Amino acid sequence: MAGLFDYTPAVVLLPFLSFLIAVGVAISGRDLLPKGGAVPGIAATAGSFLLSVALAVAVAGGEVYNETVYAWAGGAVPGTEGLELTFGVLIDPLSALMLVIVTLVALLVHVFSLGYMNDEGETGLPRYYAGLGLFTASMLGFVVADNLLMAFVFFELVGLCSYLLIGFHFREPGPPSAAKKAFLVTRFGDYFFLVGVVAVLATFGTGQFAGPESFPVFAEEALHGEHAVNTFLGLGEETWFTVVGLLVLGGVIGKSAQFPLQTWLPDAMEGPTPVSALIHAATMVAAGVYLVARMYGFYAVSPTALGVIALVGGFTALFAGTMGIVKRELKQVLAYSTISQYGYMMLALGAGGYVAATFHLLTHAFFKALLFLGAGSVIIAMHHNENMWDMGGLKGRMPVTYYSFLAGSLALAGIFPFAGFWSKDEILYETLVHGLGGQPLLLVGYVFGLLAVPVTAFYTFRMVFLTFHGDARTEQASSPEPVGWNVKGPLAVLGVLAAGAGVVNLAPVRVLTGAHVDFLHGWLDAGFAELTVHHYEEIDPYSSAYIGGEATTVLVGAAVSLGLALLGLALAYKLYAVPTPTEHTAKLGSVRDLLYDNYYQDEYQVFLARRVVLPLARAADTFDRSVVDGAVDATSSVSLFSGSRIRRIQTGVVSNYAALLTLGLTVLLVLFGVLGGWLL
Amino acid sequence: MILEALIGVTFLAALIVMLSPDEYAGRLAFALSLLPVVGSLYMWAGFDAGGNALMAGSIAYRTQIDWLVAGGYRLQWFVGVDGISLPLVVLSTVLTTLAILSAWTPIDTRQSQFYGLMLFMEANLLGVFTALDFFLWFVFWEAVLVPMYFLIGVWGGPRRKYAAIKFFVYTNIASLVMFIGFMSLVFNLPVDSFGLPAITGSLQAGELSRFVGLDPAALKLAAFAAMFVGFAVKVPVVPFHTWLPDAHVEAPTPVSVMLAGVLLKMGTYALLRYNFTMLPDVATRPLVATVIAAVAVVSVIYGAMLALAQRDLKRIVAYSSVSSMGYVILGLIAYTGLGIGGATFQMVAHGLISGLMFMAVGVIYNVTHTRMVGDMSGMADRMPITVGILVAGAFGYMGLPLMAGFAAEYFIFQGAFASTVIPSAPLFTAASMFGIVIVAGYLLLAMQRTLFGEFRLETDYEVRRAHFHDVAPLAVLLLCTIALGVAPDIFFTMMADAIEPVVAVVGGGA
Repeated sequence: MAGLFDYTPAVVLLPFLSFLIAVGVAISGRDLLPKGGAVPGIAATAGSFLLSVALAVAVAGGEVYNETVYAWAGGAVPGTEGLELTFGVLIDPLSALMLVIVTLVALLVHVFSLGYMNDEGETGLPRYYAGLGLFTASMLGFVVADNLLMAFVFFELVGLCSYLLIGFHFREPGPPSAAKKAFLVTRFGDYFFLVGVVAVLATFGTGQFAGPESFPVFAEEALHGEHAVNTFLGLGEETWFTVVGLLVLGGVIGKSAQFPLQTWLPDAMEGPTPVSALIHAATMVAAGVYLVARMYGFYAVSPTALGVIALVGGFTALFAGTMGIVKRELKQVLAYSTISQYGYMMLALGAGGYVAATFHLLTHAFFKALLFLGAGSVIIAMHHNENMWDMGGLKGRMPVTYYSFLAGSLALAGIFPFAGFWSKDEILYETLVHGLGGQPLLLVGYVFGLLAVPVTAFYTFRMVFLTFHGDARTEQASSPEPVGWNVKGPLAVLGVLAAGAGVVNLAPVRVLTGAHVDFLHGWLDAGFAELTVHHYEEIDPYSSAYIGGEATTVLVGAAVSLGLALLGLALAYKLYAVPTPTEHTAKLGSVRDLLYDNYYQDEYQVFLARRVVLPLARAADTFDRSVVDGAVDATSSVSLFSGSRIRRIQTGVVSNYAALLTLGLTVLLVLFGVLGGWLL
Repeated sequence: MILEALIGVTFLAALIVMLSPDEYAGRLAFALSLLPVVGSLYMWAGFDAGGNALMAGSIAYRTQIDWLVAGGYRLQWFVGVDGISLPLVVLSTVLTTLAILSAWTPIDTRQSQFYGLMLFMEANLLGVFTALDFFLWFVFWEAVLVPMYFLIGVWGGPRRKYAAIKFFVYTNIASLVMFIGFMSLVFNLPVDSFGLPAITGSLQAGELSRFVGLDPAALKLAAFAAMFVGFAVKVPVVPFHTWLPDAHVEAPTPVSVMLAGVLLKMGTYALLRYNFTMLPDVATRPLVATVIAAVAVVSVIYGAMLALAQRDLKRIVAYSSVSSMGYVILGLIAYTGLGIGGATFQMVAHGLISGLMFMAVGVIYNVTHTRMVGDMSGMADRMPITVGILVAGAFGYMGLPLMAGFAAEYFIFQGAFASTVIPSAPLFTAASMFGIVIVAGYLLLAMQRTLFGEFRLETDYEVRRAHFHDVAPLAVLLLCTIALGVAPDIFFTMMADAIEPVVAVVGGGA
């Protein structure tokens, strides 16, 4: 099977090829391809998906792959001490799993786009499919990256694609602004990431993720005094690694929309809905969390960095969840749920729950893609009205959409036995036991995570009830536009996955029965020795403690989180599952306004940009024109002025010149007389 | 002989175009300018130099003939290229041809003189990048100013005379300062010619003698300062940058392309050749290195902040050049293979990308007759392909990976971070890197307001699609930028080879 791995770059290059084709069509300005270029995209992502599945099968057979594919630059620089700037492919259980997720979601999004974009008569379709192709290719390149520099390269390309796709409807005022914000806010995070990349390469001389010569391994060895590394600014190794880890984390916080850089994501809803599904489920936002998982060995040796990740994640999970409670628009609720769910993943990573985080990344990809595509289906039906208060009663009129959406919602809310229950429960469990094991910080994160559970269930089912239950509140809702197979098909596939994907890791069942049904744990524990779960557990600073016994803890934890989720669901049912619901959140008064305005997060960031940075720039401009350039002009004025004055000596009258000559000679003679000769 | 042919043919082409009728001048100039392009590509194909031309490396296409003797010094016709100068020669020829093509639409008076001066400037630029004798180099260096003065002063905007005189006087005074600084070195060295390799060798052998009470170290410091200031004006480095926005705003598009694309690189090229190659012992003094690194950071951040405050698209790109050149200075003072290599690569990368940006803005100006951000919106609706390339170029300017700018900036950052020459190098590097956020800010803001949204134009011109010959140079530049970004080793290998001796003197690492 070794030959198979040699085709790995094709996973990335196929969507890239579809991008090139679509760009060609877009430039030609003619209708060269049927479906506006969708067909190459579908074919390419289908090919990538099949190849990814084949790779995953090979990985299941115990094979892994870590090869340099392309020497980008710098190999020839003398004196760089072997600093190789290369692109390569790393296929291990984690990346193989992620490849399958990304290609599957991308494929479904491409198919769904036929219904959402083509059937709706959008213009600029080649441009759209070009964007999707490049987006998919960039993300896949990021997933297979074997070193940090290559990861950064594709991370940035993902950012570019989000800009192009969020701003797809560039003729309207909203999308270009949202696109700019998305790129700029994530760029702010990426600044820290780039400093981190440079620091990692300067420190370790390599950015490789895997192998004995990789930077996580070097970091581990350096802390045991077995490997010499360069540290900077006079910091000790552990402190410096923490600094570097936090720098890289800046990029993660930006792309995965964690507090305080989450503000771009809700605005990004300006993009077409299938793009939102792609961004939230499998590509851009997932990239941040995936990066932490990819270089987990490096974070595991830094307790401070782990603590920061856990706290940021836990806080974001709760913080974003509360904002989702009061939103009016379907996609806005989903946007805040995304931020919140990625918060859970960060919490898991920070708490030493590497498997739990990956598990949630997997289940979330399915149920969130499902919810966005379901929302897209509703939006088609509602003629692009996204306000939930204009909907209602769609349940009977769009059964496929309803039942799949319901499955996704149950998963999101974490209701047994849907996929989200298992993954979220494992996150909370890991956080709890490691917190009890002497990490009070993690217990804080656990409380955040736990409090977010009922909030999640509440906003999720508020959304479901407002959209699908009760009476139709507008004419459009009572006679929705029918949707085609290309919409229903992807929904059905994802609905099944959202309901059942939990079976890949039934960790609580293993604890209770001893049966080895935590397949994902076993999956991630294979491959490169330094990238396995048990290795991470060895080097991370955590130990476990239980309430009673392990089984008791599992049961108590699950019962508490399920109970809280049901509580939130019940509240939503009571308030909104009525024929004509009212805006109960209005009773919250100023709290509602605070939540609706996102705790004024946007306001302060806009304030920083408009009222601080721009005036500063203008002040610099004024300074530049008046002082710096003023000095230049002043020099010229002084020369001109003195020239004009000195010119007056040149009167043109001969007697004046004769007088000056005589006077000058006299002065000189007197001087010589006084000094007694030449000066020198 | 090929270098003589290259420069000679370009001069001859300038003369022919100057004498041709206006109707044909543009096409003739384009056709003739292809000759130097072919010549430089041919030189590239047969390039076989190794090491640094000033530091006993082998020089490709070398000619060294005694010309005349003045004051005991032999003046020579001494030309040749190494891995630093060849990429700049290629850049100059390619960019001139594209700039000439982009002039077809906007230049509608005195065409034969315009194109003749463009070619005359190209010939002198080629001289600057290939001359290895100070006297010869200085002749070319000064001669570049003359066509530029007329190109701005005759075909420029409303304040063209002010801008042209400011450009000429400012850079000419700078040349004087630099000249004095350099001569104070040469006259105290036991050399009998102005050959740059000989002077470099003599300086590094420690043969500098005392001069009116100044010991060699102090003399070197004074000469270094004078030359640094002289070249800094050309680069330009804050606070010597104010001639640049004026010149750019008034200059017609093709002239801006040449100014940003090639003329600024004369300054950084000279800094590398003179200050950083000849006087490394001065540059690496902690205080000097700190000052230069600080100047670099200020240029990056302050230049970017100025760009953020502008409404004129050309002014935005002009100030952003100040910012980008700041990175070059940082890379140079890092004294590492990647740092100086990245700086050299940035000269080419920025030449391509800033050329692309000025040209794209020019194409839009040709149809809208305005460059003000508030005067138009939604241009993407009317000029989709031009805008598409402009957006791609803007992302290149922001340092999007797999485009030339990222490669250059990344090399510089990586090289500067681990520099042993700059004290607290990581802090200076991190500070300058914040430029990548500000550049995204002003370019995205300007693009959002002019290119997107509903179509609106204050100047009431009818907007039609651009001509093929307007868009083609943009596409060529974009493709070059991507090619260099995907495979930087196209130029980087030879650059690194030529830079290695410079770094080795200091003993810097990666």
